[in-house]
Amino acid sequence: MTTVAEPTTAPAPVAEPPAPAVPVQVPRTHHRFTAAEYNRLGEVGIIGEDERVELIDGEILDMCAIGYRHAAHVRELTTLLADNRVKGMRIDVQNPLQLGERYQPQPDLMLLRARTDRYKAALPTAADVLLLIEVADSSLDYDQHIKLPMYAQAGVAEVWIVNLDADQVEIYTQPQGTAYTDTRVARRGETVQIGALPAVTLPVTDILL
Amino acid sequence: MTIVAEPTPAPASVAEPPTSAVPVQVLLTHHRFTVAEYQRLGEVGIIGEEDRVELIDGEILDMGDIGRSHAAHVAWLTTLIARKSEETMIVSVQNPLQLGERYQPQPDLMLLREHADRYKSALPTAEDVLLLVEVADSSLDYDQRIKLAVYARAGVTEVWIVNLDADQVEIYTQPQEAAYTTTRVARRGETVQIGALPAVTLPVTDILL
Repeated sequence: MTTVAEPTTAPAPVAEPPAPAVPVQVPRTHHRFTAAEYNRLGEVGIIGEDERVELIDGEILDMCAIGYRHAAHVRELTTLLADNRVKGMRIDVQNPLQLGERYQPQPDLMLLRARTDRYKAALPTAADVLLLIEVADSSLDYDQHIKLPMYAQAGVAEVWIVNLDADQVEIYTQPQGTAYTDTRVARRGETVQIGALPAVTLPVTDILL
Repeated sequence: MTIVAEPTPAPASVAEPPTSAVPVQVLLTHHRFTVAEYQRLGEVGIIGEEDRVELIDGEILDMGDIGRSHAAHVAWLTTLIARKSEETMIVSVQNPLQLGERYQPQPDLMLLREHADRYKSALPTAEDVLLLVEVADSSLDYDQRIKLAVYARAGVTEVWIVNLDADQVEIYTQPQEAAYTTTRVARRGETVQIGALPAVTLPVTDILL
């Protein structure tokens, strides 16, 4: 990611003052942390448990505050998944997922496969994720352009973006490289299915509320 | 600072694909650290001493490698200033300077006023700085637009930017808010003086090499 410096109060012009109409590109990069370093920040209390952060490409990003609409959808989906899960599967809400050395996002919701340690020994990884859901309102661009390629690259098998503004559920499957090769857009009146729970059919209206 | 997401391989387009010729503006903020947290990172070893980082507005930025020309200028200026400074003054090279709660830059060179414990118990702050020098090659934009404003706001009384590309020394004094109200550009053939060392006159050519 490139940092663009907002031309803060410009310094007193020198010689030929650079008069940029566009923000000046500053070649500075944010310090990148490994997942291990990032987790250490939590352990030693530099980043508290109440702070909503994610590690994306080694950069620690603050997540937006959760709006009531976003919260309502996550709550409803959690309940839906809990009602329909197969015994052993775990529902994970706004908890970290470890994807390689430089990524530890915190998806809104995950349906995880059964694991004997019940995830006590280590964070879930892409292979554990049966379904990952992001509820997107203000975060839509971020979810579609940053997180989706990241999930694809890591091999997360199925991602849903609950797109509140467009009032639709986007279903991404068949990850290949940094993209999902199979995309389906489901609207009100239609139903959706979870790859890992083929017996379950959910009305889109139950998801969009 | 605003993050502009490079539109990484566009995800499989959905419904109306965002046909953006321009990078998508994503509203992401990097996690901000306080100076205390930042210093803790060093103490617990998450950021090593060999990491060249700065804390700017709470964000941890990597400083980039030191080029040959940059290194030569810093080394020579260090020698020059050490030679001309008064006995009690301290020359600090590529070491941190603490400016308030969210800034801890690492200027190329500082001439510091006398300090009882020689700065063993605390980092120097703005009022300790008699002269601050940044040698700018690739970092010019950053030095002129970001750091200069930071130094002015903190009240650093005199800043030099040794502008290698323009082959000139820029002297900034009289900080007021986020800018220096007095600017002088000195070129080869001219001489410069350090406010805190009025008896010393340095030929610009000795600085630019």
